[in-house]
Amino acid sequence: MTAPRVEITDIQDGFAKEGYICNAHIATAIFLARNLDKPILVEGPPGVGKTELAKATSEYLNLELIRLQCYEGLDEAKALYEWKYGKQLLYTQVLKEKLGDLMEGAQGLAASMERLHEFDDTFFSEEFLEPRALLKSLWSENGSVLLIDEIDKSDDEFEAFLLELLSEYQITVPELGTIKAKSSPIVFLTSNNTREIGDALKRRCIHLYIPFPDADLETRIITSRVPEVEEGLRKQLISFVQNLRELELKKVPAVSETIDWARTLVLLHAKELDSDMVRNTLNVLLKFQDDIDNIDGDINALTTKARAAAE
Amino acid sequence: MSQVLSNFVRALRAQDVRVSISESVDAGRVAELVGFADRQVLKDALSQVLAKTDEEKFAFDDCFDQFFAFDQFKPPKPASNENDAQDQQAPEDGSGTGEEGEEDDGEGGESEGSGQPSDSGSAPGSGGSGSDDREGAAENSAAPPDRDLTALLENGDDVELQGQLAAAGREVGADRIRLFTQRGLFTRRIMEAMGLDGLNETINQEQRSGSSAGEARAENLRELREAFRLEVRDYVERQLELYTANAGRQLREEVLSKINISNVDRRDFKLMQALVRKMAKRLLALNSRRKKKSRRGQLDVRRTIRQNIEYDGLMFDIAWKQTKVDRPKVVAICDVSGSVAQYATFLLMFLYSLTEVLPKVRAFAFSNQLGEVTDLFAEKKIDAAIAEALSVHGGGSTDYGRAFEDFEAIALDDIDHRTTVLILGDARSNFGDPRADILDKVHDRAKRVLWLNPEGKTLWNTGDSEMKRLSPHCDKAVVCSSLNDLERIVSEILRTAV
Repeated sequence: MTAPRVEITDIQDGFAKEGYICNAHIATAIFLARNLDKPILVEGPPGVGKTELAKATSEYLNLELIRLQCYEGLDEAKALYEWKYGKQLLYTQVLKEKLGDLMEGAQGLAASMERLHEFDDTFFSEEFLEPRALLKSLWSENGSVLLIDEIDKSDDEFEAFLLELLSEYQITVPELGTIKAKSSPIVFLTSNNTREIGDALKRRCIHLYIPFPDADLETRIITSRVPEVEEGLRKQLISFVQNLRELELKKVPAVSETIDWARTLVLLHAKELDSDMVRNTLNVLLKFQDDIDNIDGDINALTTKARAAAE
Repeated sequence: MSQVLSNFVRALRAQDVRVSISESVDAGRVAELVGFADRQVLKDALSQVLAKTDEEKFAFDDCFDQFFAFDQFKPPKPASNENDAQDQQAPEDGSGTGEEGEEDDGEGGESEGSGQPSDSGSAPGSGGSGSDDREGAAENSAAPPDRDLTALLENGDDVELQGQLAAAGREVGADRIRLFTQRGLFTRRIMEAMGLDGLNETINQEQRSGSSAGEARAENLRELREAFRLEVRDYVERQLELYTANAGRQLREEVLSKINISNVDRRDFKLMQALVRKMAKRLLALNSRRKKKSRRGQLDVRRTIRQNIEYDGLMFDIAWKQTKVDRPKVVAICDVSGSVAQYATFLLMFLYSLTEVLPKVRAFAFSNQLGEVTDLFAEKKIDAAIAEALSVHGGGSTDYGRAFEDFEAIALDDIDHRTTVLILGDARSNFGDPRADILDKVHDRAKRVLWLNPEGKTLWNTGDSEMKRLSPHCDKAVVCSSLNDLERIVSEILRTAV
């Protein structure tokens, strides 16, 4: 067995190849999830790459990514399976027409019933089952990466329903019995913390909190994602964003916003930050008019600071 | 190693990190998987299976660093210098020292045996027979390190010493330390488990030997012993800190949430504030989503038809009518006059937290004139907001009649059948007309009116208290004098809101 440290570094490198730059903390979570067979609950502010992590994992491990977006009112019919009612109806019609032929030669009610019973089971078999995201991931032959996105948006009942899946990698369909995973998927649950996730769910998961990246990590992310941006400008914009996060804002800019901003600046052929350019492009970084108004006075100071830091 | 982990889990629990049994089992698997060799990996990995909220992660980081702090064990510099000097002297004495050392060993062992009664004699304060048993066991198993303490100290082998100290700590159960006053006891027990008796014997012998080298060695050993004692004491204090750091606070919080708000000391305000916030957060977590109530039995025809179009209009999938349980609209009126000065801060604190929990709260404060503080609460931080609300509206003499008149003018139109009206105050109106007729109007329009009175029920209607005239126009009038009362009432409002 190789040392865990080595494996974790391997994961980091593998992710880097897929364009996802992460620190050892995140890689450790992936390492644990694979070795302990446990789902990962990823929390953190919006835009720090929670969903990206699942995507990167699926690419890195070369597994199919199955995504389930949660929303209020999501129920098991939409998440797990549904009977193909239409098909069942159609078959019933067909059966009705063929009923005479089938019953031919059957003596008495008991014999007829027996013949009909043969069809009972067909109607509730996998043939008529429409698999949805959760069932698909259990059925997948080589394992899969299952992303249950924004679990905090779903209802309590759905959260409770997930418990069986998350701890045993199996689900129970009343008509079919228990379906076990062919090979256990790697499960990611993401949450933006709009509500507290239940303890029962948390207990079953590895808990990973992704904070805003520090300057060093963010630099690497920008280098990887927006390679066109020149080094001087990169340093300036990252220092600017890092300082911006210190201020009191309604919505602090996240990594995804930094990337967008870097792309914007490249598009505008910017060589370095100046106050006017910042003022014009600020709506890429800040998503509330209040925030934009509030920091308007600080822009000059922030820009100067960023330029000083880059030197 | 699992002993170490389970101790660590206990330490975590003492720091308010909730660790379930299955999580500690996970921690065991994690430790097995990543090993103890790489500190950072271990820390990352354990934090992911043990600490599951922001606050817990912070607590975990601290606790991990404290629990696995191995570098604290540095013998004082002068002592180790003398130690080196002693080492250089030692060859001069040649083989003699060695022989003496061996003799010491034997005698150390004997004295340990005979010393036992006196040990248990010194222990009665702490823990009955259990601790005595443990001590006995400790001394038996500690016999091997016992012989080494002298040599260990003289060699200055930090790593070994530190390992043995940790082992001895475990044997005497230093992790069970609960009280500050037990420090001395546990320090002594650990030292004894590590062979203090042997060391003392050696010192005495050297002293008696009369030779200058012997005296010097005794002197040096005494210094080492003193330095070592301080280190053991440090170790014990760290254990105390680790396992009981929060116990005092937890006890105080428990008391604070039970006692009458007017009896809370000024110095506990900060803690109280934290408690109120915690309460608000808990209520928020429980009620953060809109709930739905199915009324099974009433067919929702429109939805059923829409749902079943795909089945050729056959009614396969039946939908029932539902009602959405909305979060309540709350209007809170808070008395901040002189008569409730003790409570005013807390009532405002509570009001402030309420505006954080519920999206639709309008807050009013009055002593004789009434004013809205909703915007103030939205803009400012809790301390500033409360201070300003008190300075603007507080301090005056109460006039409920005037306040209700103001309220009628400002907000009566906004009260509808979904609104819950909360009134926080003692109903002491300085013998003025409390204008119960206005409250009656409010009551007619609102979903319900709740009166929270900080005074005990026996004081209602005494003096200028107008509860008798006002309470008929409330759906409920209750005593609310402690945090626990508050929490109960608010959670009831949230639960029953439709």
